[in-house]
Order: sequence, then C-alpha cells, then structure tokens
Amino acid sequence: MAAARCWRLVLRVPGLSLHTAAGAAVTAPEVTGPDVAAAPVARYPPLVASLTADSKAARQRRVERWQATVHAAKSVDEKLRILTKMQFMKYIVYPQTFALNADRWYQSFTKTVFLSGLPPPPPAKPDTEPAPALDVAALRAAACDCLLQEHFFLRRKKRVPLYLEREAIASPFLDQLVASLTGLLSARNPALAAAALDCKRPVHFYWLRGEEIIPRGHRKGRVDALRYQINDKPHNQIRISKQLPEFVPLDYSVPVEVPVMNCKPDKLPLFKRQYENTIFIGTKTADPHCYGHTQFHLLPDKLKRERLLKQNCANQIEVVFRANAIASLFAWTGAQAMYQGFWSEADVTRPFVSQGVITDGKYFSFFCYQLNTLALTAQADQNNPRKNICWGTQKFTVTWNRCLS
Amino acid sequence: MALASGSARLALARPGRLGLGSCGAPRRGAYEWGVRSTRKPEPPPPDRVYEIPGLEPITYAGKMHFMPGLARPVFPPWDPGWTPPKFRRLPPLHEHPLYKDQACYVFHQRCRLLEGVKQALWLTKTKLIEGLPEKVLSLADDPRNHIENQDECVLNVIFHARLWHSTEDIPKRETYCPVIVDSLIQLCKSQILKHPSLARRICAQNNMLSTTWNRGSTLIQVHGSSGAQLNAKDPLPPIASREEVEATKNHVLETFYPISPTVGLQECNVYDVNDDTGFREGYPYPYPHTLYLLESANLRPHRFQPDQLRAKMILFAFGNALAQARLLYGNDTKVLEQPVVVQSVGTDGRVFQFLVLQLNTTDLASDEGVKNLVWLDSDQLLYAHFWCLPVVRRKAVVGPL
Repeated sequence: MAAARCWRLVLRVPGLSLHTAAGAAVTAPEVTGPDVAAAPVARYPPLVASLTADSKAARQRRVERWQATVHAAKSVDEKLRILTKMQFMKYIVYPQTFALNADRWYQSFTKTVFLSGLPPPPPAKPDTEPAPALDVAALRAAACDCLLQEHFFLRRKKRVPLYLEREAIASPFLDQLVASLTGLLSARNPALAAAALDCKRPVHFYWLRGEEIIPRGHRKGRVDALRYQINDKPHNQIRISKQLPEFVPLDYSVPVEVPVMNCKPDKLPLFKRQYENTIFIGTKTADPHCYGHTQFHLLPDKLKRERLLKQNCANQIEVVFRANAIASLFAWTGAQAMYQGFWSEADVTRPFVSQGVITDGKYFSFFCYQLNTLALTAQADQNNPRKNICWGTQKFTVTWNRCLS
Repeated sequence: MALASGSARLALARPGRLGLGSCGAPRRGAYEWGVRSTRKPEPPPPDRVYEIPGLEPITYAGKMHFMPGLARPVFPPWDPGWTPPKFRRLPPLHEHPLYKDQACYVFHQRCRLLEGVKQALWLTKTKLIEGLPEKVLSLADDPRNHIENQDECVLNVIFHARLWHSTEDIPKRETYCPVIVDSLIQLCKSQILKHPSLARRICAQNNMLSTTWNRGSTLIQVHGSSGAQLNAKDPLPPIASREEVEATKNHVLETFYPISPTVGLQECNVYDVNDDTGFREGYPYPYPHTLYLLESANLRPHRFQPDQLRAKMILFAFGNALAQARLLYGNDTKVLEQPVVVQSVGTDGRVFQFLVLQLNTTDLASDEGVKNLVWLDSDQLLYAHFWCLPVVRRKAVVGPL
C-alpha cells in the first residue's frame, strides 16, 4: 500500500502520462501473468485524471464521462435529450437565405461536396423484372391539371393581390402536385403508396462543427465549439418506413474538396442566439415512418428571380436553390440518422439518403443528398475521410404553353 | 363654474350648441375637441376685402409669395381625384348595383342553424334516412377493399396526429384536426393500385360556391367556401332507385312552428342570383365528390355543435348538388332523371359525421312532390379519448401512454 501511495505521488507532479501510468499499473500484473496463475484483474484501481481539477486532462475526463452517458443511454429519446439539454449560444442557419454565396458557406458548415447533375443510376439487378414503363403523358396531364386548377379554373373570393400570389396560388398548387404525383407514381414504387405525407411540418437539427477562441467575456481566450441550429419548414415532405438505397458507397472518395472558409461564420451574416436545441424530422421518434424520401420547398417572395435580377445578383439565383437544398437536406438526413441512434462519436454505419425539390412556383430544381458522416465536431473530424454529397440539377420551368398543348 | 362631465351633460339633455351659455358646458365634447397638441391650427379668417361685394381683391397668388398689403388668396378646395383605400367609404346599400328589394337569406360557413338538421331538411326539401346507404356500407365491409394492417395503420395515424407530428407535448386541435383528415385521405389513396379510378380525382380549396333557390316565398342562398372539396371526373352513381324516389312524395316535411325556418341565416338585400360552382367552364374535374368540413378551433365555443355541423354539411352538399344540376340540366325546376349525388364528411378531429345527399328534384318552391334524400351517419367516434402524457398518481404510472 505504501509503495502504491508514493508511486501515485511521484507521478502526479508533472501532470503527464497518468494514463500511461495507469496503463502500466494495469498491465504490470498482466506481464507477470504467466508466473501468477490467477488474477488478470488489476489489484489497484486505475490511475485516472481528476474530475474537478482545473486542467485539460480533467476537462477531457469530464467530456469522456459525458460521452459515456450518451453511449450508455437506453433509448434514442434519452440520447437526444442528453445531447441537446445544455443550451449555449449557437448560430442559426436559415436554409432560405439572401446571403451571397451561401451555398459555399453551408457546404463548409456541413462538410458537403456539391456535384452537379444527378447521382449515378443504381446497377440494374439481372434477376428482378423490369419496372413498368413510366407513363409520362399521364404525369404531365396531372401536373397540368394542378397548375390550371390553381391559376385559372378555381374561382376565388377576391382577385388575389400580387404580394399574396405565392401563398394563395403557388402553395396549393404544390400541395396538389405532390399529392397527385405521389398517387400516380405509387404503381412503380409500392413504398410511396404507404408513405406519410406531411404538410408544412417543422424539421430541426442541431450540430457542432469547428472551434473558435472566445473573443470576450469571462471565458475569453478559451477554445469553444461552434454550434449550429437549423429550423426549417419544408412545404411538403414524404416519409417512408424503409430506408432509401444508397447512391454511392459509404466511403466513396469524391475528388472535389469541401470549400474551406477562412472567416468566422458571422461574416455570412450569421447570428447567434440561445434557445431550445431541437432535433426533429417531422414526427417524433416513435413513428414507424422515420426515413425520409423527398422534401418539397417553396421559395419566398424575398428570394424571387425578378428581385435578384433587380439587385444585380443574377449569379445568386442558382446559389439560393443550392443553399436551400444543402441546408434542408442535411438537417433532414442528420435528424434521421440521430433518430436511429447515431451521433458525432457514433458515426453512421450506413448512408442516409434523401431527395429534395426546390421551386419558386415556376422553376423547379432537383437535388439528392447522401449523408455519409455525422462526425463533424473537432474531436471526431480529425481522421474522418468521409464527406457528405449533394447532387443538384439546373432549373426546369413549368410553362403555360406546354400545359395548354 | 365646474365643467359638467359627459354623463352629467347627457343627463341635462343638452340644449344644443348655444355657445357657452347653458350650464357652462363647452360646445363640443373632448372627442371632438381633440388633444390640444395634435390639433391643426385654425386657418386665419379671410381678409375684410372679401366682404365688400362687387370688388375683386388683388392677391399675391400670382407673385407666389407673401406680399404685405395684398390680400390673402382663397383657393378652391383641391380634389385629389382618388381616395386611398384606407379612407374609402362604401356607398350606401341602396346604391349598390346588386341591391334588390326582396331580402335573401344567405347561409355561409359560420351560420349556426337553431333547429339544426330539422331546419336544414326543411330548407332543402329533403327526407332524412339514418345510417349510410347499403351501397356505401357494402364497399366498406367488402374484405377486398380493406387495407392490409388496417387497424395498425389507423392507430399510427391517430398517434401521429395527436402526439407525434409536433415538437410540443400536447398538440392543439388547430394542427391535429387537418393532419388527421389528410392522413386518413392519404391512407385511402394508398389503395390506388387496386382502384385506379382514385387517380381521377383532385382536391380543391377555397372555391366560392353560390346557389339560390326559392322555398315558398323566401329566397335562400348558399354562398361561400366550405373548406376542402374532392372533385372527380366521373359523377357518383345514384343511390336510391326510382321507386324509393317516388315514395318520398308521401313524406311530409317536419315544421318547427313557431320558429321561422330562416332563423340563423343572414338576411341581406345585396346578392347575386347567378349560380356559381366555384370553377370555370372546361374544368377537367367537373363533378363534386366529397366535401370535408373541419371544426378545428381550439376553444369549444368557437366550434360548431354536432347538430349544427350536420346541418352545415347538408346545406353545402345540397348547394353543390344544385349548382351541378343546374349546370347540367338547365335552370328550370323539374324532377331530375339522373339524380345528382354528393357526399360530405364533417369532423372535429375525434367525432366524425358522414353524409350522402341525393338531389332528386330542383322544384323546391312547394312542399309537395318528390323530395331529396339524405343518408346521415352521425357521431362516429374514431377513438374514445387520447392522453398525450401518462397519467401519474402517487408517483406510479396509472393511465396509458
């Protein structure tokens, strides 16, 4: 006992190599194991850092203890509760934003790579029969019916003024379009027939990425993680009970790099607030339809094409669509992954895939997102080669003359 | 002398604006005086020169600036030519182009009929049959039409609407009522593989319906939007056979003297008699199929009672059917060869009312003759109760989750 006590006293002074000492103390009896027949268990408790000392090792031990409680949580609700219960100042990321070049910023916040075009089609399985041919004429007729109903046939109480046009006309049109197309396409995809359709349900996600030195305050000079929150409200979303198959393998290495921004996120502009941290896919964890299929977003009047052209920001039109897609789909897939129990220290073992359609009533853009990693914190991202991937197309228009023909 | 207060002045039966005589009260009340700091300064009195008749005063109007010695010009009042919408007053009702002497009793979506279903039946010359018709019930009972895991799916829908769809612990009725109706419609639509005719329907909202008919000497109109409406490309087949329709001739409509049949309806003199289904000509889904009426206000006094909701369902279904019949068969009153059928579902999120209405005749002025038919299935509970949080008594969980 006395020998053990001064062994501990000698090692506490430099404050280093306590873990190795503990390791040595643990392994020491094991080395003499072959001589001693029994007792592979250490005779003395492991030497670990203090819990309450004002030292980096103590802080590390407290962090690891907290992470152990998350790992040991029995249910997903409890896990999410432990991850989100402490509130600190965080950046609020708005998917629909007027900020310039917001898509590059959002790619750096979410470690996403943007590839234009659609993802590679899945390899055709030789044993399954080919899917029934897509009845494009019927789909076009249904889309035309929805468009004409809202814009022309429906007699409303009063003529809708210009500033309410989006809310009163484009919004019901998108609702109707989603409902009709889901119905018509469920012949090819039985999962769509059993899918849940949400209308304007919130989607929330909270994550940590990167670090900063706190500039002022009583914690000035210390390193603090950067926290982000997305509170999104997609116009429609389709949720299914079985996960969509992956587009590319989990460790697919994309040659494109994630953009690195050299300024603080405040430059975007992005502002900090402290309020409830929520993670929500549109329903609570008990719902069997916990995987996402497609989200539909309607851009507000503030970001419409004519306004951006008037402000000489013609190159920002695509940026608006891309930023909305990256932020919304990352939040949705991230929340889906967290509902399955994955988090930054327990990274996803299978990719989470979702799709998105962003429109401003006339122009449609299609996006696909694959979440390969949730490990975005500074500690977890040190040796993480995986990146999230977002595929996106150019805008397609829905024009009147095509409908009337 | 103390100024009399407003009430005291009224009690004195103010003798009119006789100046500051009569009890020392001022000519105008404080509301007309206004707060002194915001009053505009009074215009200066006109020059004495204007009082001399036959004399043209020389003013500084041409010089465009004040000149001592010249008279102050008096300009004619300026007419801007337009009034901002904020200050526009509506013309008096008599001058409205749609003003008519005969009053019309309009039923809109917030009208609560005093006698409920009885009054609605009298207004629409309809005979009530309790329970849904056999044709509709057989569709529901047919096991081929059942969805697989139907009970589990419906239970999931109820949980989703009442508990899961929002981050709050207890979602409010305004959110869960439309969510539950949408989810149940989506569940029905999932059978599109078995019934491809489900693709020949479309949902519409906010369409303005307007139909007018004579009931005896009173003119009754249904006007307004009833919420969500399902339209179909094909009409619903008639439910009652010709014999049953002829048999309604013997039915006598129930009156509720001394209550007038128009109580609860809004009486107005400015109305348009023309029918309007809410859609223009050439609409690819011309036949109304089902109306969905939701009572989703959070407070109970703001919601309709079940009886009032059923009456509203009858009247709106009837309005849609009548507009459709007049569009197809013309405006003259007659017994229809092909009756028009419209369905309706009304709910407050838990209690459901189902209705099928068959319009047999547009001759509604007299009380005799063929009547319309309505099958009503009232007060069907989807679930008895739902507790969002577990009931805990003495630190033990007692109630269900």
